[in-house]
Order: sequence, then structure tokens, then C-alpha cells
Amino acid sequence: MKKDLRYYWQRLGTLAIFVLLMIIMGIFSPQYFLSRNNIIQIFLQSSINVLIAIGVFFPILIAGIDLSVGSVLGLTGMVSALLMANGWDMWLALLVGGVLLGAFLGLLNGTLVVATKLHPFIITLGSNMIFRGLTLTISDARPVYNLPRQFSRTIAGYVGAIPVPVIIAISVAIIFAFVTKKTKLGRGIYALGGNEEAAWLSGINTKLLKVVVFVFSGLCAGMAGIVMTARMGAAEPLAGTGYESYAIASAIIGGTSFFGGIGNIFGVVVGALIIGLINNALNILNVQTYMQQIVMGLLIVGSVTLDRLLARGSKGE
Amino acid sequence: MRQPLVEMENVSKTFGATRALDNVSMTIWPGEVHVLLGENGAGKSTLMKILSGVYQPSDGVIRVNGQVVERLNPKTAQEAGIAIIHQELSIINEISIAENIFLGRLPGNRGLFDRKTLEKMSAELLARVGLDMDPAWPAGVLKISQKQLVEIAKALSVGARVIVMDEPTSSLTPEEVEVLFKIINDLRKEGVGIVYISHKLEEIMEIGDRVTVLKDGTLVGSRPMDEEVTPELLVQMMVGSDLSSKYDTEDHSAVEVKSDKPITVKVEGLTRADGRCKDVSFEVREGEIVGFFGLVGSGRTEAMRALVGADPVSKGTVYLKGEAARISNPQAALKNGMGLIPEDRRHEGFCHNFPIWKNLTLPVIAKASKAGGLWGLVNARKERQAAAKVVEQLNVRCASIEQPITQLSGGNQQKVVLGKWLETDLDIFIFDEPTRGIDVGVKASIYDIIKDLARDGKSILVVSSELPELLALCHRLMVFREGTIVAEFPISKATKENVLYAATARINNQGVGVQ
Ligand SMILES: Nc1ncnc2c1ncn2[C@@H]1O[C@H](COP(=O)(O)OP(=O)(O)OP(=O)(O)O)[C@@H](O)[C@H]1O
Ligand SMILES: [Mg+2]
Repeated sequence: MKKDLRYYWQRLGTLAIFVLLMIIMGIFSPQYFLSRNNIIQIFLQSSINVLIAIGVFFPILIAGIDLSVGSVLGLTGMVSALLMANGWDMWLALLVGGVLLGAFLGLLNGTLVVATKLHPFIITLGSNMIFRGLTLTISDARPVYNLPRQFSRTIAGYVGAIPVPVIIAISVAIIFAFVTKKTKLGRGIYALGGNEEAAWLSGINTKLLKVVVFVFSGLCAGMAGIVMTARMGAAEPLAGTGYESYAIASAIIGGTSFFGGIGNIFGVVVGALIIGLINNALNILNVQTYMQQIVMGLLIVGSVTLDRLLARGSKGE
Repeated sequence: MRQPLVEMENVSKTFGATRALDNVSMTIWPGEVHVLLGENGAGKSTLMKILSGVYQPSDGVIRVNGQVVERLNPKTAQEAGIAIIHQELSIINEISIAENIFLGRLPGNRGLFDRKTLEKMSAELLARVGLDMDPAWPAGVLKISQKQLVEIAKALSVGARVIVMDEPTSSLTPEEVEVLFKIINDLRKEGVGIVYISHKLEEIMEIGDRVTVLKDGTLVGSRPMDEEVTPELLVQMMVGSDLSSKYDTEDHSAVEVKSDKPITVKVEGLTRADGRCKDVSFEVREGEIVGFFGLVGSGRTEAMRALVGADPVSKGTVYLKGEAARISNPQAALKNGMGLIPEDRRHEGFCHNFPIWKNLTLPVIAKASKAGGLWGLVNARKERQAAAKVVEQLNVRCASIEQPITQLSGGNQQKVVLGKWLETDLDIFIFDEPTRGIDVGVKASIYDIIKDLARDGKSILVVSSELPELLALCHRLMVFREGTIVAEFPISKATKENVLYAATARINNQGVGVQ
């Protein structure tokens, strides 16, 4: 019956880990950890990572990668801040400097990947540096502060008890879950991830889809850039540095396969929440940040190993 | 005293709820070619995967040279003298042919491997299997048939006492089959036991010494291949009833299609950017089935891929229904009602991450959507209905349409790869090796389906290495050699001899040379 175990693991394994961690923490520190405030805090702290992880999920789903998301976050956060600081209307600045710019940077990545036929690893390794360099250049390596009051109040504010970043992250998750599950576009991306040649011969426009997944990735990182700037009340030129590793880790912990074609948005979101949860827990338990990295690394290796083991189990041993 | 090489006793195997094998026994003697026969999904590959240590049996005993062996794995099976050539080849494209042959056993000492010896040993083995290739080349350059020969070389290199060949000839041309049979005969003389799985009854009649028949995972029987064994008897054992008349493939019912039917596809001077087919010209009429024969590497498949825009073209024009069409990718082909059913199911045919139904509806989704599968919603309920229909029509053996396609037997995967185009509403079907690995019963129904499509006015192009298949199915035959069409035969003029001659030698004066 290992096959059944595998079946449930694929669908609910990440969720099980999440619940298990909650229970463990609940035992350690019931009053504080399980308080409503802290739980909202976990979601809030995870919102940026959730956004990036949803984006980076798409290139991984086609057996690629996007290493530039951290820099896309930095650049979009910076450009939208500069636009606002220069008197642009807030919403226009966010649309152009955040969302559209993010999508455009993804478009660049995707077009380069298709045109050069190089592995996305190489392309985005390069564009990661380029985007970061651009951010430092246009900002003179200095943070941008004088942003409209309304900006942080809106984007980093609350609706009732729920922080706006959480609402944004959840909305984006729902939209992309719909895209992956219910649209032909989503089906095409999974097909491309499963077998590019078969998808191509079946009449799926795999070249266009390859660009689309990077646009999604850039788009999400762009939104993360806006949220980041709003939460900090300023645009930092080095914002988002290294965030790609947390986003990729979220996708992997959430059950996305590096070989392509397997994974889903729900898993990715839970994966990102697990990372947020662990960070929060280690903070509460007063564990040093260096130690936190070690735990995170072990978690990634551990969860993927478990996944592999169960995959082998289903092959009939 | 003569001792069997391998005895498998009461072997059973279950996958979840599927009972793939139920109390199957089989004995392999030295110097025999033991045919393993059964319909798609009967359990042949599973039984052999158990023997070669890929799967663990759920129950049963295996004895090698009289000794009970337990918990075989691929390495210990190899050490026990059992080699297997899997239905889905396991050649690694990125490393050299020589390294493929000696994978895991590279010659040399102290951790350094000795490339010279390796390549010398490999060259000898390649000569033995009749493959004229430099062993230092990456295996990726090989065609499927050549890879099959490399697999055989690999089995020879371990000095196996038992060699299992799971559908070794499914992508070989008649000459290559002859080479293989010569190798098998040599091995037989050396006392090697051979398990031979194939759906080609003609071959089985020629090479087999003994036959074991499986049906739905159970043993139907095992008997020597003596005079009493006829193809009809084999079919009867496989299917469980006398349906042999239904499987008479020597049916020359095809006649020429009237020349007043409109031409639907006209290809002029098609030349690939990589030169693997040059100056290919032909036309196909409405309701016509045109066969494309040629040796492996003669450019048939390459021409078809170029025709649907899967690979770049440097020259040539394609006219569809009289109008020049620009087909630069398979999406354009699909929009124009043309689809290619590819030859290599695992690499080109299906998405391994999809269940059966999602594979079956992929081209339908792509076709019904703008921008090549980018726009619109999916309707899972409708898709499942369509998929269930195809599964029934082609008799795909599966637990349900939700089953991952990777769990199907080879022949059943092939049915899915074919089936996904049947719901797509095309005008022009291009089949590349449509019946590879498919059992006799389903083969007949696939021929029926193809003929029905033609009767409905579709144009059909069939690439096949099986000449009898083309002779029975097509109205007209084109012969490829060295990347171009060298001869054309109306079916009334086509015989095994003159088609083969055209494929191998100079232009045959009995055919119409169109060079
Ligand atoms: N990994 C697996 N998981 C679940 N079912 C499986 C698995 N492998 C094989 N089966 C099932 O076991 C049965 C026997 O499969 P097998 O591959 O042995 O058939 P076969 O006789 O080799 O057929 P073919 O002629 O098509 O190659 C099939 O019904 C198949 O679906
Ligand atoms: Mg098989």
C-alpha cells in the first residue's frame, strides 16, 4: 500500500508537515505561539516569500529555474518608489514600476531563454546580476525614503484584522491556482514540463509558454517588490538579495519536482508558510539566525529525500 | 545432466489493486529461444522485470542454475548471468556508445578507465551485432534501431547465460531483423537461453523453440514450437478463443484511389535545414493511404517531422488543398488539420506526468484554443468523457483513465499516443510506426480505424518499417533512400521484393522512378 502513501504524500504531505510544526510549537509555547497575533504575524512575514514562490514555481514546473526574482523584487521596488518620489500618481507608479516592469523583466528572461536555447539557470544567473546592478545604478546605491504616506498605509495596512499583504498574497495564489488548474494555459505548462517534445508535437506552443512562465515569475516578483517597499516604508537598493533561495526552497518543500511537470500552487503556498513558521518559531525559541539557516537547509534536503524515497516505494518494491 | 538455466515458479505480482501476474511459472533451458507471448498488458514485461531484478515478486520462487535466488536486484541478476533488453531502451544519449555498453563495468584499474581498451572491446561487440559505428560517438546520434543493437551488444558484453529481449524488433527493418536472428542463432549454439517477446507472429514462427503464453497475468500454457503450432493456434492461445480469421492481415482489399479525388497534400522539394531529407516531393489525395517505406535513417521520419514544422526546413513548398501553406511549427500544422503521430512514444508521444485522460486530450485542447493552447478554459468533465470513449475504442488496458500513463504496458501506452489524435478532427493524419509494440488483435483494429478514416475522406500518410503492414494498408507506396524518395509504387505493382530492392539498391525499373 506504499502507492497510497505516495498518493497522499504528494497531495497533503506538505500540509502535514505544516500542521505537525504547528502542534510541536503549540506544545512548546502555547500562549504565545498559538496566539491570534502571532499567527497573523506568520502569514504577514510569509507574504513576500509566498508571492515570489508562486512566481518561481512556474519556471521550475517546466524543469527550469528563475534565479533573478530577488533582483526583480529589488528593481521593481526601487523603480516604483522613484516614480512616486517624483510625483507620479501612486497607483500608476505601482502599476508601471512594479507590476508591468516585473512582467517585462520576466519577458526579457523568457525571450532570452527561448532565443539562446541556454538553460534558464545561466540566463537568470546573469540577469540577476544585471537587474541588481541597475537597481544600484538608478538609486545611486542609496535608499529612497520620501514616499507618499498613503502608500504604506494602503499596501502595508490592514483590512479589519487582516494585513493587506496577506490579502494580496492569497488573491494572487487563488488566481494562479485557477490558471494552473482550470485553463488551457495551465494544462499546456504542465504538458511542457512533462515532455516538451510531446507537447510541441501535440500543437502546444511551447516556445510561447516558456516565455509566459518567466513573465509570471517576473510579475509575482514585481508585486513582491511593491509589498516589500510598502512594508519597509522605503526602497532599499539591496532589498530581496538572496530571496530566490527561499522562494525556490518553498516550491521544492511544497512538492514541486525539479524534473518538471509536477507540483501545484497550494503546495507552494504551504511550503512558503512552513518556512515562515520555522523562522517565527526559531525566533520565539531564541535561536540564532545562523542556526536558522542550518535548520532551513536540513529541511530542504530532508523533505526532498523523503519525497524521492516514497517515489521509489511506488515502483513496486 | 541437463539443467534449466532459470525456473520461475508460481510468481505473482500486484501493483496496488492491479494483479499484473498471478501464479505464473516459466522454465528457460540452455540453447532455446523461449517466446513469451500475450496481448498488451498480459504481464510479459512485468515477468521479465522480476527475473532481471527490476521488480520484486509479491510471491513465488526463482531458481537460477538450480539455486533459489532471493531479492534479486539488477546488479545481482546481471551477476547471475541474466541480461535484459528492455522494451523502453535504456541507452544514455549523452555518453559514448562504448561507455553505454560497459556502463558500470568500465575496464581499467585503480579507478582510471582505459579508453583504448574500452573502445577496442566495444568495436568488436558492435561488429558482432552488425552495427557499423564508431564506439567513441555519443549514443545520442543513434536511431532507435541502432540503439537496440547497442543494447544487444551490452548483453553480449556481460557474457549473459540468459538474455531477455523485450520486443527487440519493434523498430528494426527486415534486414536488421535478419542480423538479429543470426546473432540469436549463434547465441543459441553457445547454449545461451533467450527469452523473446514479440507481437510479430511471423518472426516467432521462425525463431522460437518454445512458447509460453500469458493472458491477463495468468499462464495459458507452454509448449514446444513444433509442426502443430500455427499462427492461428498462437492467436487462439493468446486471445482465448478462435478469432484467427479476424486477424488475417494479408488483406489486399486496398485499391487505388480514383485520380479525380482532390489532392489534399502536395509537397514540393521539401529539404530540411540539417539536410537529413532533401528534395522530397509527393502528393496525397483525399481518402488515400500512402505508405512510406525505407531503411532506418533513410529520412522518412525526418521528412514527416519537417512537413508538420517540427524541425526547420530550408527549402520547399507545401500545398494544402491547393494552396501554399506556411507551416513553421506543429501548431500551424494542427490549425491546418494536419497532425503527426510520432514514432518514439516515450520521448515524443506522451507526458509522463499526466494521467491517461490528460494525455488523450492534449491535441484537442491545443487545437480548440487560440495561440497554441494558451487561451481558454479546460472542461475536465468533457475531456474525461472523450478520453473514456477512446480508451474503450482502442481497448486500452488500464485500471481507470485516472491512472498515470507510465503505469501502462508498452502497447497500451502506444494506444494512448495514437488515440489522442483520433478525437482531434484532422484532415491529414501522419502515422509514424503506428503499431509499434501493439498486439495482433489491436493491430487489426488500428488498421480498421485507419481505413475508416480514409473512407471518411481523410488523407493518411503512414511511415512503417513493416513492409507487410504497408502492403496490406496502403493505396500507394513511396520508397525513401538516403533522404529522398527514389521510387513510387501503386499497390498493384508493389511486392515485397521490388519495394525492398528500391529501398536498398538502385532505382527499380518496375516502379516509377521519380528522382
Ligand atoms: N508500475 C506499475 N504500476 C501499476 N500497474 C502496472 C505497473 N507496471 C505494469 N502495470 C500493469 O501490469 C499489467 C502488465 O503490464 P506489462 O507491462 O507486464 O504488460 P506486457 O505484457 O509487457 O504488455 P505489452 O505487450 O503492451 O508490452 C498492465 O495491466 C499494467 O498496466
Ligand atoms: Mg511489455
